[in-house]
Order: sequence, then structure tokens, then C-alpha cells
Amino acid sequence: MLHEKELTTFVDGTTNFFAVAAQQAASIGSPYLLEEALALHEYSGLIDVSGKRQGVVCFTAPKAMLAVLLMKMQETDFSHETMRDLVGEVANTISGNARRAFGGDFLISVPNVLSGETQSIAPRPGTRSFIIPINWRSHSAKLIVSLS
Amino acid sequence: MTAAGNWGSRYILAIGIGAALAVAMGAALLMGFRLATQLHADIGSLQTASALQAYPIEVGRELDSLREHLEVRAYEGNARAALGESVRHFDENFRALQAADHGDAARLDRINTQWRRFHALIDPVIGFHAEPYIDSDTAGTILSQAGRAQFARVRRASLYAAEHAQALRHELAAITGRLQTAASAAAVRLRGLLLGGVLAALVLAAAAAWLLISRSRHERAAREAQERTRDIMRTVREGFFLLDAGHRIGSVWSDALIRMFNREDFAGLSFHDLLKDLVPSETLATAAKYINLLWGERAHENLMKSINPLSQVQIIRENERGVKETRYLQFDFHRVSGPRGIKHVLCSVGDITSSVLLSRELQESQGNANAQLDMLIGMMRTDPVQLVSFLDTADAGLRLINAIMKEPARSDAEFRRKLEGLLRELHSLKGEAAALELHSIAERLHALEDLVGACEARQELSGADFLPLVLKLDEMLAHLRGVREIASRLALTRETPAPAAHDPLATTLETMAAQLARDHGKRWRFDASGLAGVPPRYAQTVKDCLIQMLRNSAVHGIETPQLRRSRAKSEIGRVSVAFRRGEGGYELLFEDDGAGIAPETVKEAALRKHLITESEAAAMDSRAAMALIFRPGLSTAAGVSMDAGRGVGMDVVARCIRAAGGRIGVSTNPGKFTRFKITLPATDDSDSAVA
Repeated sequence: MLHEKELTTFVDGTTNFFAVAAQQAASIGSPYLLEEALALHEYSGLIDVSGKRQGVVCFTAPKAMLAVLLMKMQETDFSHETMRDLVGEVANTISGNARRAFGGDFLISVPNVLSGETQSIAPRPGTRSFIIPINWRSHSAKLIVSLS
Repeated sequence: MTAAGNWGSRYILAIGIGAALAVAMGAALLMGFRLATQLHADIGSLQTASALQAYPIEVGRELDSLREHLEVRAYEGNARAALGESVRHFDENFRALQAADHGDAARLDRINTQWRRFHALIDPVIGFHAEPYIDSDTAGTILSQAGRAQFARVRRASLYAAEHAQALRHELAAITGRLQTAASAAAVRLRGLLLGGVLAALVLAAAAAWLLISRSRHERAAREAQERTRDIMRTVREGFFLLDAGHRIGSVWSDALIRMFNREDFAGLSFHDLLKDLVPSETLATAAKYINLLWGERAHENLMKSINPLSQVQIIRENERGVKETRYLQFDFHRVSGPRGIKHVLCSVGDITSSVLLSRELQESQGNANAQLDMLIGMMRTDPVQLVSFLDTADAGLRLINAIMKEPARSDAEFRRKLEGLLRELHSLKGEAAALELHSIAERLHALEDLVGACEARQELSGADFLPLVLKLDEMLAHLRGVREIASRLALTRETPAPAAHDPLATTLETMAAQLARDHGKRWRFDASGLAGVPPRYAQTVKDCLIQMLRNSAVHGIETPQLRRSRAKSEIGRVSVAFRRGEGGYELLFEDDGAGIAPETVKEAALRKHLITESEAAAMDSRAAMALIFRPGLSTAAGVSMDAGRGVGMDVVARCIRAAGGRIGVSTNPGKFTRFKITLPATDDSDSAVA
């Protein structure tokens, strides 16, 4: 069974990115269970997890949120590639945080970036899927933790 | 005896032998020195004596030479001077010989006597200074009167020399021979001593070499032993160290301690300092007393083990990745005794985290197995149709809860509204699970309610506070899936369907009433009538309402038998439920003959929960006060239990009735009864049983 500490580690990895990169902490909204396929935002960073747990952790954010985030980071390039790099960087921070916390227990892949509005994520049998809204300024992204 | 003890004895023996040999060598050298000195003196005397042997003959020859010079009237001064020189040499050497202690005094005395006589004859000859010759034309050179006298003295001395010089020489030769013998003997002794000294030196050198080799071997063995000890200390997975009487750690410890405590400065560290940041101060104080007890000779070690306060210690430490983690350590203490009593306390520390967690998992697994067994028994007792109906309701309820969770929220108020909705749904589901004796489900729902309650108690709510809730909700859903699977298997394996109750709701309520009476130490009679006539549309509403009201009666209404007796009431209470068709709809009556509801008690509870203000309470009449019981968050219970205390039950009833378009009224007489009257609008359904 997924433990609260494990879930918190992924959440902290995400909120830490905002606190460090944008100098403005993100808060988390009310978490809930993924019951049916969920449409992802325009940009998503995924990391595959294996070892003690199997599954995927996904950070998905709307374009508008990423644009503001880039502005806060003093970036002037708001291109598609920069947005992709940014969600990849968030996913990278999440995986780095998890590696530090779990060590060899979890094998975490390099981030895989998805973009476009047609992507979705569905609950997989045998996994526990949680959606944690990541609220930053007026925007909201989602952290999806789907692990067995 | 130990190896160290053997070595110590041998070392002392070797030192003793070495010292004795050194003393012997010293004595030999001293004796050798004395012998050499004696030998040196003897050789000197021998040389002197040898030289003296020649002088009597030499003096005789010189006297003859002097006489011849006088006879031929030659110059005799040189011969006389040579004679004087020889006599002087003899005197000097003889005095030296006398001075030397050669142990032959009698012979020397004899020589001295003879020489003195000889000396007395020679002295006037040597001391002659007159002109021995007279020159004349007639007679030529002739002896003067003094010369004649000198000649006579020379002849007398010469005659003495001819008679005694040889004897004197023999005496001196005898002394020389004796001295030679003594010198030879001394030389032999000296050689012996030197030989002995050399042998002693060799033995001493051999002993020193043996000592060095033994010591080197012993040191090598000690080094190897130290290395082996170090290897053990480096490899062993337990932490080991010695504590002295001052509770300080010794200089040797196992490397496992470094991993356990994330530090390396153990030598001289006090036990208190080792644990002060890891365990509560009370535990540490108890541990210090415990170790002090171990130093007492009379304390029984096995008995002491049973009171070890550090047999399982939970610590929070940073691991090698800098992440804080909880570990469980087990400390064991053993006394190390010596001839003079207790020397140290050996402390072994084991990381028992795995076994503690395994034990917990086993306990949890055992608990789950028991819960599953209870659940299975509950399911066996439950009508399959009712069970499936409950599972559907529970599934829908939990999905509704997830939907409530899903609603976006950022402010504290938004989060708190969520909690109210969650509590209502959970309380309703829990009541139904308890009514069906599905305790494993009811307990899980209760645990979820506890989490919601903990959230409510927080000053400021955030999404992070809901993480434990969503995890528990997921577990709840997984548990329900398991129950559903068991239910479906149970239905397959049942050869004959369980006999259907003629009035399932009444049966459920009767079972629940009996369970509640047992749980709360109450006694009552439960009567239900007309429940078979509840239309399907109101089945869930009626069930939910009656479950909540029955729980209220169990907690707040029916008194304990003792209290009822003291109030002159029958020990056995009465709870009745009646459902009937009335004018323009349906009527549900619920009544107990318990303590009733005192409006003042309700107002006080509302004030405590800050649901009303003092002024509002003062302005409230009894009717308005009674209406407070339907307000969310109000409870008159002293604490939270499975059946009451969260202020949700009557809120659920009121919401169910309102949702069904009905009304609820309450009448009560404190100390005598409470009666709820629920009216529901008419439906198009004909009389049907509750599904």
C-alpha cells in the first residue's frame, strides 16, 4: 500500500520547484482519487517508477501557468520547446527529490515530456491513483501519482 | 591461564635470569680486574727480580774490574762510577721488590741481610774520592796510601762477592721462579674468568635474543589478535561498546555504531550524550538508573534484562542521503567482571527496525485476518440482498465523498465545508455498516471520521491535511471491493440461499439495537411495526434516519439500568418504531422512554461548540433550542465514540428528510421520553417491502 510519506515526497518535490525556481511557493489543493480517464493539460512531464513500487508520476500543467512561471523565472523565450523543457524540469526535480528520499528502493526513469491537448491518463488495474492539485497564483496544475 | 598470563611469567623469568647473569658477569669482571692488577704487579716484580738476579754477579765483575784498574794503575773513576750505578740500581729495584706484596718476606729478609753486608763493604769503595796513585821518577806510578787502602777494600768486597754473589743470585732466582709460578697461575685464573665472562655474555645475549624474539612473537600475536578484533568490530552488524563506571564509552567500538548513530566520536562520549537527542529525557534518566543498578554486584543480570528500559527504542535519524527516518534500536547490557569485581558494562545495540516492522505487519495482518473473519461472520448473518444493497450504497457514498474531495478548494472555509460534507456521508455509511454488523467496514469508516475530526481541529486547513484522508478513502474502496468479491463468492458457494427475512429492515434494526445495547451497557426492548410497508422510494431515507435515531437513543436516550432504577423506571427501556400510511403521505414514529432532551443541555452544547452566542441562547425558547439538535456539529456526548459525539447524526436525519420532501418534529419530556415524528409525502408506489 502506498504510504503517506511516499505521496508527500512527490508532492514536496513539486512544490519545492515553485519555491526555488519561481521564488513563490505553490500550495496543494484537495487531493482526490482518479476514478476515470483524466484529460491532461497541454504540457506534462512523466517519470516511470519501478522497484518497490511500479507505476507513473505525472506533473501536468496548463500553458498559461507555465508562461507565468517562465516570466517569474526571468525567461523571455515562451516557445513550445521552452514549455516542454520546463515541465521536464519539474518532473526532474520530482524524481531527484524521490531518489534522495527513497534511495535504491525506487528506480526512477528520466522524465518523458508530453504535449498537446489530446493526452489523458486512466487508472490502471492494481495501481492506486491520486490526483493532487498544485495551486500557484491563480493557476492550477495537477500531480498524478499512480503507483502499485 | 591466558596467553597473556603465560607471557608475563616467562618475561619475569627471563628478566630474572638476565639479571643473575649480569651480576655473575659483573663479579667475573671485577675478579678479572683484580687478577689482572695482581698479575700486572707480579709481572713487575718478576721483571724486577729478574733484573736483580744479574746485579750481584755484575757488582762482583765491576769490583774485579776496579781491582784490575788499581793493579795496573789505570784510571779507576769510571769503574767505580759503574759500580756505584749498579749498586744504586740494585737498591732501587730491591726496594721496589720489597714494596710489592709477593708473599715471600723471609727470603727477602735473607737477601736484604746479605745485601746489607755486601753493601757495607762496597759503600767505602764507592765513596772513595782520594788520589789512589802517586807518580815518582823512581818508582813510577804506585799506589798511594789511600790507594792501597782502597785496593784492600776492593779486594775484600770482591772476595765477598765471589763467595756470596752466587747465593744472592740464587735467592733472587728463587723469588723470580715463585713469581713466575704465581703469574702463570694468575694468568690461568684470568683466562678462566674471561672464558666464564664470555660464556655468561653469550648466555646473556642468547637470553636477550630469546626475550626479543618471544616479545616480537607475542607482539605479532597481539597485533594479529587486535586485527582480528578490529575485523570483527568492523564486520559485525551489532553495535558494541564498553561503558565505564562513569557511563563513558571506551576506546573500542564496532563500526555498526557509526551507521546507527551517524557519528564517529564515540571514544570518551557519555552514554547520556549519545542518546540525549534521540530518546525522551525520562527514558534516558531511567536508562542511567538502570546502568547504575548493573554496576551493583547483587543485581541479578537475567532479572535486570526484564526491566531494561532500552529494549526497544524508537529514534529518528538522518540516513546517508540526509533524509530523516525512523529506526528501532535494541540495547542490551552485560556486566564484564574481573578479579576485583565489575570492570565494565558491555552494551550491544541491534537495529531491530525490520523485525519491529515485520511484527507490526504480522499484527496488522492478524488484525486484518480477524477483521475479515468478523466481516465474514457478519456477511453470513446478513441477508445477501441487503448486503449487496449496502455495498452499492457504500460504493456510491464513497464516490460522493471523492466528488466532495474533488471540488476545488483553496481557502480554509472551502476546506472546512468539505469536511462537513465528508462527515455526514461517512456517519451515514458507518451507521448502516454497524446495523448490518459489518464491523470491519464500520471501523474503517470510523477511522476515516477520526481523520476528518483531526482535520477539523486544525487552526488552518490546507490540501496537505487531506492527503491522509484520500489515502484512507482509497483503502476503504479497496476494502469494499474485497468485501464485494467475498460476497459474490459466498453467494456462489451457498448451496441454498439464506432464508429471507420477512422484514429485512426490522431485522437489521433489531440486530443493531441488540449490538448497541451490548456496546453501551443498556437494556431495552425494541419494537418495530409497519416497516415492511415502506415504499422503495423512501427505503434508504427511512433506514438512514432510523439507524441514526437508534444510535442516539443508545447513547443519549435510554439510561443505564442503575440510573433507570434510581429514577423509579423499569430497568428495561423501550424503543419503538412505527411506519404507517397517513393522510396525504406516510408517517414514521420513533420513540424511546429514556432521558429525554433538556433544552438547556442542548443550548449549553451549542454554546460550547460556538454554534450560538450567549445572547442567542438567552433569547431562545425551548422549541428553538430543540431545533438545534439538527444543526451540524452539535453533540451533547462527552466524547467521540463509534456511535456519537461528532454532531453529525441528527444533521444526517434532517438532511435525508428534507431531501425526501418530508418534515421532522420532536417532542420530549426530560427524564421520561423522546419522540420523533417524521412525515413523508405520498408516492405513486404501492405498498412494497424495503429492498
